[in-house]
Amino acid sequence: MTAPVQADSQLAQSTLLMKVRGMTMSYGSGTAENKILENLDLDVNTGEFISIVGPSGVGKTTLLRCLSGLLHPKAGTIEVGGAIIDGPHPDLAVVFQDYSRSLMPWMTTRENVAFPLQGKGMNKADRIRVAEENLAAVGLAGQGGKYPWEMSGGMQQRVAIARALAYNAKVLLMDEPFASVDAQTRFDLEDLVIKLKQEFGVTILLVTHDIDEALYLADKVVVIAEKPATVVDVIVTGFGEERDQVDTKADPRFGEARARILHRLRKN
Amino acid sequence: MKETTTSPRLLLAQRVAAILILLGIWWLVIASGAVPSMLPGVSQILAAIGKAFVSAAFWGALGKTLLAALSGWAIAAVVGVVAGLVIGSINFLDRSTSILVDFGRSFPVLALMPVVIMLLGSNARMEIVVVALSCLWPVLVQTVYGARRQEAAVSDTVAVFRIPPLLRFRRVLLPSALPFIATGVRISASVALLIAVGVEVISQAPGIGRQITLMQQEQRWDMAFAYLFFTGMVGWAMAAVLQRFENRLLIWKRQEND
Ligand SMILES: Nc1ncnc2c1ncn2[C@@H]1O[C@H](COP(=O)(O)OP(=O)(O)O)[C@@H](O)[C@H]1O
Ligand SMILES: [Mg+2]
Repeated sequence: MTAPVQADSQLAQSTLLMKVRGMTMSYGSGTAENKILENLDLDVNTGEFISIVGPSGVGKTTLLRCLSGLLHPKAGTIEVGGAIIDGPHPDLAVVFQDYSRSLMPWMTTRENVAFPLQGKGMNKADRIRVAEENLAAVGLAGQGGKYPWEMSGGMQQRVAIARALAYNAKVLLMDEPFASVDAQTRFDLEDLVIKLKQEFGVTILLVTHDIDEALYLADKVVVIAEKPATVVDVIVTGFGEERDQVDTKADPRFGEARARILHRLRKN
Repeated sequence: MKETTTSPRLLLAQRVAAILILLGIWWLVIASGAVPSMLPGVSQILAAIGKAFVSAAFWGALGKTLLAALSGWAIAAVVGVVAGLVIGSINFLDRSTSILVDFGRSFPVLALMPVVIMLLGSNARMEIVVVALSCLWPVLVQTVYGARRQEAAVSDTVAVFRIPPLLRFRRVLLPSALPFIATGVRISASVALLIAVGVEVISQAPGIGRQITLMQQEQRWDMAFAYLFFTGMVGWAMAAVLQRFENRLLIWKRQEND
């Protein structure tokens, strides 16, 4: 059993929103069993931005799918707001790695954003209003009539984020959301997510293989590694609320943290 | 490459030329006397088409045939789409019914006609039932196929955002299977017309098929051919209208494929 590194002291006063204990996941069974996650613990406090960083293939997507209720872990518990959850939950919204395919091409962007609200039973006028508000929040004001395939990858990603925001969940789960856009778009989207977190106070849990991205965005970086994967380090970044693509990344603590994570990951 | 750069005008000219050449060959064959003399020539048929065009009996018969064909087709489309979406989206149903579906699609419904006539009589209702049974399979098979091919990211989205089953059916399953459904519905539209005429020929229920048989009995081959020609034109027009409608409805699909 690997105990998680305790680094929560600074955040002790915030309230625990999501609690994961002993999560174990494998694909296949018997001799073909492929263990991906082993005894993984995770605490997410309200209003916190957590990055989970680990190399490709370590099991980040598997972890996020377990958290979002799309996969059933072989062992362990997930609690949200004190209640154990089993399956998709209204307090959790997801921005998928495959974001462009997760938008329905037969719906306009407005309809895409409003669709989960229809599932919640919201009336049409409210749905449209909420969808437009959230499209505006991600910088797509007035673009609701366009179809996703009329938009660039970066804009499609904004739509996927707007959809998750509109769902009004307590926690936003994001799977490598910026892995397939160009560098400039990626910086814009990173800053957008930071802005949304400040504006709406939404709690975000993002997985990425990119150490710089993980550090730049997060209040707390959780490093997962090994096979099967488990939490090997937790770093509280301490950069404060304001981030800047140049200044934050030039902060000496940024370099130190990056070296620490790299070192930790290269041990395997 | 070449086809895509052809202008619409040139395309039309090519198509008209193809028809003219075909008619020319027909005329040559008749003129050479290589076929039985009962086969009418091009000019006779043209005259007969003109005559049919102003005949109330013809329009009445065409109306009856179309009504039966369209009713049977519409029933088959609704039943086939709903059943196909349910079967295609539920794994165990899909597996357990695949033999039935394969059997049904290759079953010659026209061979069942004597039984159906015995049960329902030689009337429009019987005709609609036979048309519907024949049209069901293309729609069902295509819809099952379309419903099976759910994009994984779309299924995940539906699950995560807890979309209720009926809403998912209407707003996700149906549109994503629509390109396949459209093909099935278009195929079955021409099947509907063929079967309707065939049923009328066999059962003597009123309609174009019955008229064709009557004309043959009266040795009016030119009129029989004129009626056949009209039926072909109607089938072609239906397919063209559907294709148009399909292109408009599936604008997102075309964009995706570009
Ligand atoms: N559906 C699946 N069935 C079997 N093995 C899988 C499945 N999905 C992922 N894996 C395996 O699990 C491991 C972790 O995958 P994944 O969670 O996608 O990693 P990451 O997102 O960190 O790149 C990989 O070795 C992958 O091959
Ligand atoms: Mg992944």
